[in-house]
Amino acid sequence: MENLIFVVIFLPLLTAIGIQIISKLVNELLLNFLTINSALLSFTLASGMFAFLLMNKFEPIHLEFFTWIPNPEILFEFTLDGLSGIMMILVTGLSVVIQIFSTSYMSKDENYSRYFVYFNVFVFSMLLLVMSGNFLVMFFGWELVGLSSYLLISFWSKKQSAARAGNKAFILNRIGDFGFLVGLMLTLNTFGTFNYEKVFSAVLSENHDGLSIIVICFIIGAFGKSAQFPLFSWLPDAMEGPTPASALIHAATMVTAGVFMLVRISPMLQFSEIGKLIIISTGLLTALIAAFSAINQDDIKKVLAYSTISQLGFMFIAIGSGAYVAAIFHLVTHAFFKALLFLGAGAVIHEMHHEQNIHKMGNLKTKMPITAAMMGIGTLAISGIPPLAGFWSKDEILASTFSNGGIYYGYWALSLLAAFMTAFYMGRHWLLIFHKETGNDISSVHEAPKAMIRPLIILGIFSVFIGFINTPFFHGLEKVLEETLQYVDITHLPEGITLIVLALVSIGAGFSGLLLAYLIYIVDIFSYFKIKIPFKEEIKELSSNTLYLNKLGEIIFVKSMKSFSRKTAVIIDGLMIDGVVNNISSLFYNSSQKISRSQTGLVRSYVVYFGLFMLLLIGLFIATPWMLN
Amino acid sequence: MIEVSTDWYLTLAAVLFSIGFIGMMIRKNALIMFMCIELMLNSVNLTFITASKHFGTIEGQISVFFVLVVAAAEVVVGLAIIVSIFKKQSSASVDLLRTSRG
Amino acid sequence: MLEIFLFAVPAGLVILGALIVIFAKNPVHNSMGLVLTLSSLAIIYITLNATFVAMVQMLVYAGAVMTLFLFVIMMIGVDKPEQSKEEIKGQTLLVSGTLLILIGIISYVIISSGFKWDLYFSPVEYSLEGTPDLIASTLFTEWILPFEIISILLIVATTAAIALAYDTKTRKHK
Repeated sequence: MENLIFVVIFLPLLTAIGIQIISKLVNELLLNFLTINSALLSFTLASGMFAFLLMNKFEPIHLEFFTWIPNPEILFEFTLDGLSGIMMILVTGLSVVIQIFSTSYMSKDENYSRYFVYFNVFVFSMLLLVMSGNFLVMFFGWELVGLSSYLLISFWSKKQSAARAGNKAFILNRIGDFGFLVGLMLTLNTFGTFNYEKVFSAVLSENHDGLSIIVICFIIGAFGKSAQFPLFSWLPDAMEGPTPASALIHAATMVTAGVFMLVRISPMLQFSEIGKLIIISTGLLTALIAAFSAINQDDIKKVLAYSTISQLGFMFIAIGSGAYVAAIFHLVTHAFFKALLFLGAGAVIHEMHHEQNIHKMGNLKTKMPITAAMMGIGTLAISGIPPLAGFWSKDEILASTFSNGGIYYGYWALSLLAAFMTAFYMGRHWLLIFHKETGNDISSVHEAPKAMIRPLIILGIFSVFIGFINTPFFHGLEKVLEETLQYVDITHLPEGITLIVLALVSIGAGFSGLLLAYLIYIVDIFSYFKIKIPFKEEIKELSSNTLYLNKLGEIIFVKSMKSFSRKTAVIIDGLMIDGVVNNISSLFYNSSQKISRSQTGLVRSYVVYFGLFMLLLIGLFIATPWMLN
Repeated sequence: MIEVSTDWYLTLAAVLFSIGFIGMMIRKNALIMFMCIELMLNSVNLTFITASKHFGTIEGQISVFFVLVVAAAEVVVGLAIIVSIFKKQSSASVDLLRTSRG
Repeated sequence: MLEIFLFAVPAGLVILGALIVIFAKNPVHNSMGLVLTLSSLAIIYITLNATFVAMVQMLVYAGAVMTLFLFVIMMIGVDKPEQSKEEIKGQTLLVSGTLLILIGIISYVIISSGFKWDLYFSPVEYSLEGTPDLIASTLFTEWILPFEIISILLIVATTAAIALAYDTKTRKHK
């Protein structure tokens, strides 16, 4: 059973290598066959292993690959427990669905095979990350995931904006990785090992000095990967990549790696009050900024990008309140409906011949009914309308935050505001694309091909039903994670009437958000009642430009780095290093010129030299008579 | 009574040698430089004889013979060279011989 | 007393002759100075009991070598007086430097040893007469090889001198 872990992790890598090798030889059909079957095989094996775990009450399975460094002992090892099992199924399952979609979306692209190579490499790295048994293997996966993301974002590398977006993603990721790396080093220094179990048992038994620093370093890493403030501006730019890649990476898997990691280290995190405070505050701030920015975006994918950032903020809020199960729950549900939304957007883009501005669309539900219906399901799910998935997970987060009391009431209220804004901008998104009757020409648009529709339907079904894995009546997910989080102090839902009231409040927020969107954009209520909203244009500007945070970051960091590096190149490299090298060579030349002047060709000067040195020799022997012996 | 010992002769040889050496450095005329070489060789001869008296062996005086003969041969060849050089340039100054300048 | 006198006078003449050699302007004067030096040196050899060597010195050096020198001087005929200004750059500096070092070393050695040179071996009591038979008995037995070699050297030198000074042009015309 342990060795199956190997197969699941390395099968995508082998597929990637295989595709790379035979890419020139085969046509698209054979390639599709190869990659989709490999993905299906991975998923089947993953499900089988998960079932096995289920039967064994989620007792962890360990697998040691090899011993890398004997002293201190660092192994290359994998762990399969409830947490990694869930992520494993999620990644492999979504990989199958999205790859099916990609075969249709990316067909006729000249770099078809390269796309699937990168895709499989990404799946491999994500599996490496989630099934890691110690911090070091997780770091490998972490870095590889960042690399694959870069490769996929700048996939159409001839476009300058795509290349730049890839750079930005990688660099901002790297800043986070620096924090992760420092955390790694501190962990090794404090605990002497990277292994999860050893570290956590040490944390639980001893005192907790210096834990906050380690936790904060890891938090910085999570911020980079999961696009929290201030390292979030790469995600909207990452929409330059192919849409199905965005669906996988920036909706479901890579950006959730930060959340996963923080839940993994929850035994450490629970003891650091300042860490939890940082997480929840940043999560809230991010959720609000992103939701605000999503209100007035024009690009179909950018709305979804900001929505992802905002939902990640929610997951961070959950972690910060101690509701680790809720965070993972939201991670899972969000993966499904966000992937659904992205793939639907991909279908729309494909049919609109790569038009991405939502103001140029309208009333598409008449032409693309199935897509519209699925996107509608996704929108309802994200807005938190029961009984769809998003309601259960989002409500659990809000309720857990509320149950902490004290300052957390404030956090709850602001999270509710963010949920309201979520419903609003997603409603606007769906309405402007599919419902509103504009004068735009959509006569050439028809329904998307089957290979795109089927994944949408699958994801739609999951978005409806996946929420039932962890309701207040059936704590399925909690049972799954029980073994992993057994030593962690988890915040639970409030009981009884409080719970019902909270649920009703969040449902109300969702509904009112959607209703407001309908009123403003379809019925155009403001001009009807002749209400003037103050600062309407300014608010719209602020929203579209993400509160000008990007500009600020550019001025502070990019410009100063550029001028600094220019100075370094000119002064240090040009003057000092080149100068030294050139001066050494001219030194030799000049000194040899001067020395050659002693060859005068005159007898008399030679006589003088001869005499001079002879005298010096004699003087030497007089001064040190012992040298003559 | 101050005795004339070996030291005096050695000093004389040293002084003679230095004078010959200084002459080599100062003078430009090739012939005069040759004469200075002769001075130096003679100072060496004096040293040899002194040593012969000091140690009581006859080898010193024999060495003088050799030095003498070699000096004579050297003078012969050197003067021949100077003569042939003089045929080319009308002055006997060695400063004009600069062809081996580096 | 007599010994000092017998040393001092020839020594003074030697030095005088040497100084004439290096300071005189006319090359003939130079040669005369050299003759003076060589002759005085012969006298000193006699005081050192090297009588045969002294004779040979007078014959070969003062007789043959100096005559050769004078011939060449007459032949070359130095008309132009030598320029007293030094032409080579830096030569004056180097020469004076070397001079200073030379004088410094000599005076140091003389003064520090109190005019008593620290010779490793003490002089022998007896004195050797440099008679011809004594010299010959060693020269032709132990030192026969160097003797033969320098004979060859002499022949080579003579041949070389003739070859160098041989004037093919004038010979051919005749």
